[in-house]
Amino acid sequence: MAEKKSLTIALAGNPNSGKTSVFNSMTGARQQVGNWPGVTVEKKVGSLSYRGYEIEVVDLPGTYSLTAYSVEERVVRSYLVESKPDVVIHVVDTGNLARNLYLTVQLMELDVDLVVNLNMWDEFLDSGSELDLERIHRLLGAPVVPTVANRGEGIEALLDAAIDLAEDREEHHRHVPISYGPHVDDVLVELVKQLEDGGVSTHGYPLRWAAIKMLEGDRDILRMTTSGKDVSDEVSLHLRDVVARATRHIGVATGADAEKVISEGRNGYVEGALRESMTLPKTDRMELSRRIDNVLTNRFLGYPVFLALIWILFQLTFQVGAYPQGWLESGVAWLAETLGTALPESLVSDLLVNGVVGGVGSVIVFLPSIMILFLGIAFLEDSGYMARAAFLMDRLMHALGLHGKSFIPMLMGFGCSVPAIMATRTLESRRDRIMTTLLVPLMSCSARLPVYVLIAGAFFAERAGTVIFLIYVIGIVAAMLVGRLFAKTLFRSTPAPFVMELPPYRLPTMKGLLIHMWERGKIYLQKMGGVILVASIILWFLGAFPRDASTIETYEQDIAALRAAGSVEAAAAADALESELAAKLAEDSYIGKAGKVIYPAVRPLGFSWEMGVSLITGFVAKEVVVSTLGVLYHVDATTTNDERSLPAALKDPAGGITPLAGFAFMLFVLLYTPCIVAVVAVKREIGARWMAFSVAYQFVLAWVVSFGVYQIGRLVGL
Amino acid sequence: MTAEPRVPLAALNPGDAAMVVDVKGEGAFRRRLLDMGFIRGSLVRVIKHAPLRDPVEYCIGGTHVTLRLQEARQIIVEQITPPPFCRKEDGSGRGRRPGRGLGRGGAWRRRSR
Repeated sequence: MAEKKSLTIALAGNPNSGKTSVFNSMTGARQQVGNWPGVTVEKKVGSLSYRGYEIEVVDLPGTYSLTAYSVEERVVRSYLVESKPDVVIHVVDTGNLARNLYLTVQLMELDVDLVVNLNMWDEFLDSGSELDLERIHRLLGAPVVPTVANRGEGIEALLDAAIDLAEDREEHHRHVPISYGPHVDDVLVELVKQLEDGGVSTHGYPLRWAAIKMLEGDRDILRMTTSGKDVSDEVSLHLRDVVARATRHIGVATGADAEKVISEGRNGYVEGALRESMTLPKTDRMELSRRIDNVLTNRFLGYPVFLALIWILFQLTFQVGAYPQGWLESGVAWLAETLGTALPESLVSDLLVNGVVGGVGSVIVFLPSIMILFLGIAFLEDSGYMARAAFLMDRLMHALGLHGKSFIPMLMGFGCSVPAIMATRTLESRRDRIMTTLLVPLMSCSARLPVYVLIAGAFFAERAGTVIFLIYVIGIVAAMLVGRLFAKTLFRSTPAPFVMELPPYRLPTMKGLLIHMWERGKIYLQKMGGVILVASIILWFLGAFPRDASTIETYEQDIAALRAAGSVEAAAAADALESELAAKLAEDSYIGKAGKVIYPAVRPLGFSWEMGVSLITGFVAKEVVVSTLGVLYHVDATTTNDERSLPAALKDPAGGITPLAGFAFMLFVLLYTPCIVAVVAVKREIGARWMAFSVAYQFVLAWVVSFGVYQIGRLVGL
Repeated sequence: MTAEPRVPLAALNPGDAAMVVDVKGEGAFRRRLLDMGFIRGSLVRVIKHAPLRDPVEYCIGGTHVTLRLQEARQIIVEQITPPPFCRKEDGSGRGRRPGRGLGRGGAWRRRSR
């Protein structure tokens, strides 16, 4: 058999055009998710074998246009020109042809080998519309293939068309240049000539396209043509002059600036093409959606329904997710125990059991909950409800300097910051992504709850519930204040507009939902699993070393002697010695020493050095604060009601921790740097510099607030 | 069908229809509006306000698009009465009639702005 030929297909299209369905239908699970070089825009690449071709499919970001204004649009156009895929398939929502073909026209102008895919063809026909495929094919000068991608219909025909086009079997049509009216057309001819004469390189972009972009005032293209290295000063000056004169001329002649006139020209072309080939729908495709919205975005019902949906999502995540979480927990415990007994007691077994299994296990148990949460989010997104939620919440979120879509990540933050930070990807503007990511950790995640339960239980007894609720409220208030502060200082320049499409409601397919869930879950597993493994080992090392062999030996001899005695009292004494040894080792370890070093920093907050240490280990996962305190106060952290319980040890007047200090400690745990997994997620989404900022500002915030509360509280005599 | 004075899109009420005559603003924001079909001569209809009045849902060229009021102030329109399209499907005829109590445009509700 002949060697397989390779082919690259790029998928372009508007958001909500079903591009992802086409991608999933083509490639199934053979997908890789990464980032486009240099930017945090998701890049999805999949592959398939078809008719003897090894086809690589690149899913481009969803865009409405090809300007220099957004990262996504820049990614699309530079990919198309620089990487030159063999075929570009433009996925079109056929029910919304006019809006979608607006992008087709721009792709035509880029001179790519284009196949127009009329997706959601079934909905289009159901609405009673008709389209003359032969005629639209001729008008666009590109093959036109109808599909129903979420059912996999027409995908083979689409691939056939792409292959035919790549192999030049398709009768090749030259793209008809779009006329923008006499004024603009003349200017374009002139500009193209000037570019040619000046020998200006457009780096693979077609000259006419570059000329259009220059008139539109496209900054990237203007820079390339008028101040590139290979452009002489004379040519550059001349070109600027031509553009300035041309825009003035267009302004006078048409009463609008060039960018508008060109937009109108494209729309005019699309309308003309559709007038010749399409009969209008008999029914409005938005009708059903509008009826649904009469309830879902109703002035009175909108919020209750929204809250109910979120409540259901949380119940599913945390109540239903608790069952598989329980199984995994027992699995991890079983593994730790089996390893512990099977391996001879040594440092290696301690590393395996407490370091690796304990550390990774503490994160892996959250996987089922997170998968359920992602599945729910995928449903809300694919069904079209997410856009409505943003519509409902925008007024409130805008007051905090955020976007309506920021609400979902903030809310997810109460569960776990990691998926919440990953969910900021649904936000379009980078500014909103950064702001939301910075604020998400202030939403008190579920891992912090055990710490509150311990401290509030110890110091506030019957009022513990109220105090914990207060902590959650303080987190929300802090997010509001910090949000407003950031919006007024760091992010003043770029207010993100709320120009958002409300797509028609659709019933998502199970396949699509599962793929979306897996995409995000996989990232959680890979990245977080790796980081947690390394961090657990490092932390275990810092907690286990240095080990003074002689101390351990003396203790162990005493313990062995007591155990040999066999009496009840002797066994109790042996237990006491064992926990004393553990505490001593912890105190002498690197972490214990670090705790002593930072003690002066936490003393003004009323904390003990043990608390300082627990804050350091809490960096791995906030629950670890509790177990560290247990070790350092040499008590069994799991018992709660006996005299040697952790709450009792904390409350012990000899320790000098007041209820006020306890409260300040809870505030600190609420506000300070999130766990390492969250920090890694922050870095992934918004880069190392913002990660550093995120860590620093939260640390400062936590310290200042705790200090203020403790010191002011002391002054007023609490 | 009579053309009325030019007003910002933000000044219209749900059910109203208008023709776009100018799009102000600049840069990415204006371009986005142009991409969404807010160009001279296109018809736009106000669908509804969010529960807290802002943002607002509009229908343009068969798509539903949301804008904040501050953004809708950048779009200058001529109102068209009576609304010439999208009428039967979504019951706009009802929506425009006063007498729906406290609802927007209702008899008991004093018009703001």
